[in-house]
Amino acid sequence: MTLSVQDITVKYGGRLAVDHIDLEVADGEVAAIVGESGCGKTSLAHALVGLLPPNAEVSGRGVLRSDRHPALDLGALKDWRGIRGRRIGIVPQGAMSGLSPIHRVETQLREMLTLHEGSSEPTDLLERVGLSAGELPSYPYQLSGGQRQRVAIALSLAGDPDLLIADEPTTGLDAVVQGKVLKLISSLGISTLIVSHDMTGLLPYADRIAVMYAGRLAEVVPVTALHHGRHHPYTAGLLAATPSTDRSATWASIPGGAPAIGELPTGCCFAPRCPIAAEECHTEQPLLRVVGESEVACHRMDVANTATYPAVPRATSACGSPVLTMTGIRHTYRSRSRTTIALDGVDLEVGRGEIIGLVGESGSGKSTLARIALGLIRPTAGRVRLGDDEVTGARGQRLRALQRRVGFVHQDPYDSLHPGMKVWSLIAEPLVIARVPRGERAAKVRAALASAGLPDSLLDGFPGQLSGGQRQRVAIARSLVNDPELVVADEASSMLDVSTRGGIATTLRSVATERGLAVVFVTHDMGEAIQSCDRIVVLRHGKVVDAGTCSQISSSPDHEYTAQLLAASHH
Amino acid sequence: MSAIQASVPATPVARRGRLTFLGGRVLEYLAVLIVALTLNFLLPRALPGGPLKLFGSPEALARLTAEERAQIATEYGFGDPIHLQFLDYLHSVVTLDLGTSLSDGRDVTAAIGDALPWTLLLVGTSIVATTLIGITLGVIGGIRRREGKGAFTLTGAIVVDSIPQFWLAMLLIVWFGVKWQIAPTFGATGPDGTTVAGLAQHLVLPVATLTITGIGYIFMYTRSSMLSVLTSEPVQHAHARGIPRGRLVRRHVLRPALLPVHTLIMLDIGFLAAGAIVVETVFAYPGLGRLTFGAIAARDYPLMQGTFLVLTLMVVLMNLLADLTYPLLDPRARTGGDR
Amino acid sequence: MSAATTAPEVVARTRRHDLLGRQGGVGTVLLSLIVATAAYGFFFLPDGAGKKRVGQPYEAPSGAHPLGTDDLGRDLLNQLLVGAGTSLTLAFIVAAVTTVLAAIIGGLAGIGPRWLSATIMRGIDVMLVLPELVLFILAATFLGQSFGIRAAILALILWPVPARVLRAAVLTTWSRAHVEAARAMGAGQAWLLARHASYLLGPLLVPVFVRTAMRVIIYDATLSFLGLGDPTMPSWGTTLYWVQVNGVFLSDAWLWWAGPPGLAITLTVVALALIGTSIEDRLNPNLQESR
Repeated sequence: MTLSVQDITVKYGGRLAVDHIDLEVADGEVAAIVGESGCGKTSLAHALVGLLPPNAEVSGRGVLRSDRHPALDLGALKDWRGIRGRRIGIVPQGAMSGLSPIHRVETQLREMLTLHEGSSEPTDLLERVGLSAGELPSYPYQLSGGQRQRVAIALSLAGDPDLLIADEPTTGLDAVVQGKVLKLISSLGISTLIVSHDMTGLLPYADRIAVMYAGRLAEVVPVTALHHGRHHPYTAGLLAATPSTDRSATWASIPGGAPAIGELPTGCCFAPRCPIAAEECHTEQPLLRVVGESEVACHRMDVANTATYPAVPRATSACGSPVLTMTGIRHTYRSRSRTTIALDGVDLEVGRGEIIGLVGESGSGKSTLARIALGLIRPTAGRVRLGDDEVTGARGQRLRALQRRVGFVHQDPYDSLHPGMKVWSLIAEPLVIARVPRGERAAKVRAALASAGLPDSLLDGFPGQLSGGQRQRVAIARSLVNDPELVVADEASSMLDVSTRGGIATTLRSVATERGLAVVFVTHDMGEAIQSCDRIVVLRHGKVVDAGTCSQISSSPDHEYTAQLLAASHH
Repeated sequence: MSAIQASVPATPVARRGRLTFLGGRVLEYLAVLIVALTLNFLLPRALPGGPLKLFGSPEALARLTAEERAQIATEYGFGDPIHLQFLDYLHSVVTLDLGTSLSDGRDVTAAIGDALPWTLLLVGTSIVATTLIGITLGVIGGIRRREGKGAFTLTGAIVVDSIPQFWLAMLLIVWFGVKWQIAPTFGATGPDGTTVAGLAQHLVLPVATLTITGIGYIFMYTRSSMLSVLTSEPVQHAHARGIPRGRLVRRHVLRPALLPVHTLIMLDIGFLAAGAIVVETVFAYPGLGRLTFGAIAARDYPLMQGTFLVLTLMVVLMNLLADLTYPLLDPRARTGGDR
Repeated sequence: MSAATTAPEVVARTRRHDLLGRQGGVGTVLLSLIVATAAYGFFFLPDGAGKKRVGQPYEAPSGAHPLGTDDLGRDLLNQLLVGAGTSLTLAFIVAAVTTVLAAIIGGLAGIGPRWLSATIMRGIDVMLVLPELVLFILAATFLGQSFGIRAAILALILWPVPARVLRAAVLTTWSRAHVEAARAMGAGQAWLLARHASYLLGPLLVPVFVRTAMRVIIYDATLSFLGLGDPTMPSWGTTLYWVQVNGVFLSDAWLWWAGPPGLAITLTVVALALIGTSIEDRLNPNLQESR
């Protein structure tokens, strides 16, 4: 079976989302379309299976050839009966929450088998995806996220399709599970097209990777050739921007952000962010051409190896006196039916100028610990001290006075900025709350904005006009403005594109150094923690399982779980 | 009419023993019921005139001498401490000994027993009609939301939902009763006693009133539930997996969409008995609503207490029933050993 | 991670400008017309209009009395116009009081101490078990029918449903990231309410107000129709009560006697419902389910 995508273009109301894409998927090959949010990868995949919203216009061809069926042009297809599920199996985005909640697994599998005239039995399908027949009578809510993802894959296999399209099959899963799911998909032996934002996560499992940027293909490269030879500066940037768990590797970020749909620059879309862009890059659009083993759309391939990106700096000074001291923290959540132990005797100390990485998977209690440090949650037991002051037991005015000495960067840059406030008011809010005299505010706001790496020109805008990365920088500026002693960053980069994550870490490092701040950096990404922190504390089920300096953790983890996390996050 | 109090559909409770869960709900409703009983017990004692008015009209009471008052008070225990009175009251509730009506001297339990079947007949018929029509239209309106007709039906539902019950009843009487003389406008049975035809004829107009005014709400509720299920991830994904539209709607949309509607309708049944007051009054239908209204108008306290008790009981029972039947429809609300 | 992550606030912003939509626009125009009619009745009709005898009983419509007269020779058009004022004033006063009451109680149940929240919620549970209409009839029978008492009764009985809706909204609001961020800055409850929650909760009060006003108009008309209204004040429900008492259905007089007030009630409620529904749809597609 082969899929040949020819000149596919997708427009939304005249705005170009996918720009003349050509791509081949060979028989039995696992190809991946990789790119950051808004690059058009999902639109492309949806165009191939007729799932675009009604306001989208598609042109071009997508020819599906196989020895079992007549050739088919997906681009011109109007009637999708007998195609989806039978010739193309689809694992939709967010498949874990997409199973029918009211039908048993067996019923759902049988429905697909009957509908698409599959020849296997539900048990066989489950076996193929690594589940036992014991899960047949289960309802989706009784399964874990990974199990549900496997069931979704089994459903897509029921019609014995020629091609499998998996849209972000790992989103929402813990790192360890992500690898297992990808391994399963790659071992099915079906031609597969994976759409993903996580390039490095795919490397062990995909055969070929197509890198998309702003609706165009930047590069199509066999995975084996990715780590040597010359590549598109964006591909190189993505690789450099993915934090490695090896402390000796550097971690970089691509400055700026991707252009919005409908606002594409002339010439090469990547030129405004490219470290090696020349004049022609801004005027003339580069076409894909063969360079070594890959196809690259770049004018500057001759100097491609000189492209370097700003690296995330490491600590330069030793850490100072302790700012935050947490001892014996226990916390239990009580609902009417049961009690959950979120934290079970956790100790944590953060000193001036130091960045502590708090690493754990979902349910590890890391966010609860961060909120206890912020005084948002009162721990069931244990002591919290900020400098020489006791936070435990503080209430009302005294608690609020203590909270004003701590900055907070929330995980979600879209929801954490009040949409009706201008950037200026957003950053000045902590000053207003702390009743800092009006005359002193302007200087503090500008200083914080500069520390966070934003230009003054943004002050008059609303957050709705900013990109995710800019928003998160506004949130950082807000956390800095009242000269805090401690900043708590809760998964501050998790919702941002890979290429901009390093930028946030760079900013946090520079404020820690310049302002002598203590920083608690909460993350689920071991690589990110190793790259950007000084010390790491690994949490699991509310307990500290490992703690040490970044190099200790990355080279000789004490605990088996830490080793698992290291193995699972990037390679 | 909007006298319906919809509660938010019970959120599925996961990972809890099913029996503990049901036990908890029953206990909760028992608590609510006890509070309602207490209110009911306090009612005649709190309204102007004091508890003695249980025994006669204000005029009659005014003629009583002080000794007579004292005698009644001792006899019926009004002199007793309040908690003993409450226990007495509970005892009388449990034994269905609700006293005698002040206006006609009938046994309250018997009066309610006579009225209740009529209300159940009236409410039951109209609930069935409302549900069938409302859900059907709502499902269609949800599926065809993008077409012009969808918006038109929605506006239609708003209009129908806005007509006051009593006014619609009047219009129906004018047209069907007086002008065209198609249906009787008064009572529950004809002169020839209880025949099926007579019963049915007398049901036509009251049921039509309750049905027409009730459809709008169920329609809008069903439609919005359909819309949210149609755009939900499981349905979008089922579509992506190649399930054809008809099958998609039948198997993947209808049941989840009707889950909250089920809860709504159950609660609706509980309240319709009280909501039928207007209709029963206009059509002189001998049901519980008319009995209640008559009791209040005549300040017939024993009868009032009795009818309130039944009305509240119906609401609580239907709430409980809604909770108990929900897990049968939604596997997520089921827990325990069904794996 | 898809193309859909383009700044949700941009959408929210345009929505706030276009809060009503076409449906809500129709409702607003309709309501304005009714309010204007009520204002005309209030400011330009002489005192006692609709209460005094101005013609023969049971007159058919004529130039002098476009809607005829009732059994006491009172002008029916005047009753309709004055009744509009009575109904709308009652509806708006009660809706305002109920909205404030529901906001305070719902807010306390949302962010108050746990014991208070639990107490309020159990209280609401009990209130919701008692049939509203029966409570109204009971209260109207025993407490009297003056305007003030009627308003107080309605407000006291109607708050639980909106209070529960608003409690849920407050809980959602309090879990929003920018509110949490402000709390972590050491902001007091007052600041959170004024600067953060008002932006999200403010628009929600509109449908609460509108829905309550609808319910008030229907309940008040129903009570009046049952003979529990203020017999000295012309109102739509009272006019219909006299229709019922005098058995007007038997003659053609029902057309000008019973038709207009019933139609007026229906139109007012429709206007309010159109406004309420379109705002709810725009604010939160899931919210209307919990009303």
